Amino acid sequence: MASHPVVVIGAGPAGLTAAYELGKNSSSSLILEAGKQVGGISQTVNYRDFRFDIGGHRFFSKMPMVTELWHEILGDNFLLRPRISRIHYNQHFFDYPLKATNALAGLGVVEALLVCFSYAKVKVFPNAQEENFEQWVINRFGYRLYQIFFKTYTEKVWGISCTEISADWAAQRIKNLSLKEAVRNALLGQRGGKKGEIVTSLIEQFHYPRLGPGMMWERCEELVAGFGSQTLKAMKVEHIRHRHGRVDCVSARASSGEHFEFEGSDFVSTMPLRELIEAMDPQPPDKVMEAALGLRYRDYLTVVLVVNCEDVFPDNWIYIHSPEVKMGRIQNYKNWSPYMVPDPSRTSLGLEYFLWDKDDEWTWSNERLIEFGTRECAQLGLIRPGEVEDGTVVRMEKAYPVYDHHYQDHVRTIRQYLETFSNLQTIGRNGLHRYNNQDHSMVTGVYAARNIMGESHHDVWAVNTEKAYHEEDRTTSGNGGDRMVPLPVQVKVDELPIEEEEEIIEVVFAKLDPVAMGVAVGTISGLLILIGTVILVLKGGPVVGPNLSLLGNFLFGFQVTWGGSLVGFLEGGLGGFAIGYSGASLRNWSMTAYAKFLRWREEVNHRRNLLD
Amino acid sequence: MGTDFKSNDELSRVVAKIQGGVLAVVCGLMGGLGLFFMTAWLLLEGGPKVGSHLQLLSNYFIGYSVTWKGSLVGLFYGALTGGILGWAIGFIYNRVVGIRGR
Repeated sequence: MASHPVVVIGAGPAGLTAAYELGKNSSSSLILEAGKQVGGISQTVNYRDFRFDIGGHRFFSKMPMVTELWHEILGDNFLLRPRISRIHYNQHFFDYPLKATNALAGLGVVEALLVCFSYAKVKVFPNAQEENFEQWVINRFGYRLYQIFFKTYTEKVWGISCTEISADWAAQRIKNLSLKEAVRNALLGQRGGKKGEIVTSLIEQFHYPRLGPGMMWERCEELVAGFGSQTLKAMKVEHIRHRHGRVDCVSARASSGEHFEFEGSDFVSTMPLRELIEAMDPQPPDKVMEAALGLRYRDYLTVVLVVNCEDVFPDNWIYIHSPEVKMGRIQNYKNWSPYMVPDPSRTSLGLEYFLWDKDDEWTWSNERLIEFGTRECAQLGLIRPGEVEDGTVVRMEKAYPVYDHHYQDHVRTIRQYLETFSNLQTIGRNGLHRYNNQDHSMVTGVYAARNIMGESHHDVWAVNTEKAYHEEDRTTSGNGGDRMVPLPVQVKVDELPIEEEEEIIEVVFAKLDPVAMGVAVGTISGLLILIGTVILVLKGGPVVGPNLSLLGNFLFGFQVTWGGSLVGFLEGGLGGFAIGYSGASLRNWSMTAYAKFLRWREEVNHRRNLLD
Repeated sequence: MGTDFKSNDELSRVVAKIQGGVLAVVCGLMGGLGLFFMTAWLLLEGGPKVGSHLQLLSNYFIGYSVTWKGSLVGLFYGALTGGILGWAIGFIYNRVVGIRGR
């Protein structure tokens, strides 16, 4: 039995990041990977020098820590790529993120009118409840837009009705912003930097490793090895042996069938929660087992076609909403990075199918799937069948944790059980059963490592739920450039700390006290009238203050006399108070209204990216 | 959803204080230049009785008249009065904020 300080199960982004963070702090680890390649769902598969990405991974993060890590690991091997994506529906292409004019023009006059009516209707009579995805989207887009742009695709991806999907899924992706966050993002997030940096719109362009996301994790594996850690591939963990609230060792089976046991002082698992619970030895209580079995995962299959055509379509990917085909999305890998294809005259397309592992298609032969995919592509008018020269298939089990109505209860039960172990942490997308992106998974890896190193306790379950984890990132200026002329990327990380930005906002948006302003303006107004009147009375003359006495039209009982000066002081003071109070209130209200407008604008932008 | 931030949905918990000196300068500039340009405008317009109403300010500002020389006197008085008013508003405002904040 081999013994290591830390055993990490899974060499995906979360597991490798944990090992990397441990290594940087002089702590070696053993990484056990069930597959033959590192990177998990972020691996790059190489088929006859055509490289492809499982699902398409844009490298952008709102967390500066992650951006730093990426560049620390991969140096300047990043390209800055423009994003082009569209939706295919009813023989039309629609820009995605959705643009109102483009969408309405593509739908035709009648449908566009119906969309507008349905949007207006839901704004007047919104769904009172927002428990499921359908209600959530309809409340924001109206029924017809939901039906056209969300229903079919979402149901293709998740394999269940939108009414069965929890609203959490959408809400997690479109987080509510506080006014302060919205203002910070809009104002401080877009200012020019010291040396002319600007915030690049990470919606319109993204970072991408030259040879796909797997390049990152292959490099990370090398770095981790340099720290004295070891990665064992094709080593599937089958049992996790524990006693007295501690995990003692894990038992794994190699591809040869041989069994190995690995001891450790700390264990970090990225295994799907269902598999982890099933592997616990002795078995957890029935309640926990039932919860684990209640978790569902969506599987995913990519049919890769090598097409003898230089330029099939300009997009990085296209969402296929059209219900007549089973394909959910199609990737054009050379548009992600021109280095993904060995020959620029060829194009490699990734046809993505979202399935359950019990679906017939999951067990179809590669040849049958390639033929099926070719036919669907031709049906959509994207290629001619004769252009397809070669192809392959990649299957990825448990790619997406399913957010049905019961998952939260199940996860809560499992989490309570796992928290009874003092030396076991679960991280990553499947380890937390959360629809985390790569950056979130990496953060969970960093936190797990820091917990092991005895730093203050980080709650890995809070990642991608708390706003604190969504700080804005800023990058140096850069022209997105021509799509076929990729630019290397430099990342700037020495920006103003978030606390200082908050202080700036606190000061700039500090409220005026209306009462104090009323008193100040009122006092001064009253005194001005009093002094003005007294001066004229003291000067005397045949007609005293004929012009000032016109104020009597507005100030009841005012005259240019000693008594009138007191009346003027009192009434002028009251008028001044009203003006000062209203002015301060109006200024406060305007600032809040402006901030609410900024938040509304940002939320609209977020909603436009709901499918990503 | 939608409720978690609303309990804390405030841009700033700070009540603004006014810098009396700054407000004095701003109001002084506005008062001085305002009176200067108003006087100059009337002079440029010309007519039989130039600025008969603005002339009434001479009741308070000794030496002021609607003439080119008077415009410079007005600049001085306007700046002085504006400065005092601005400073006084800031001073009173800050005092009241201080009292209410106790």
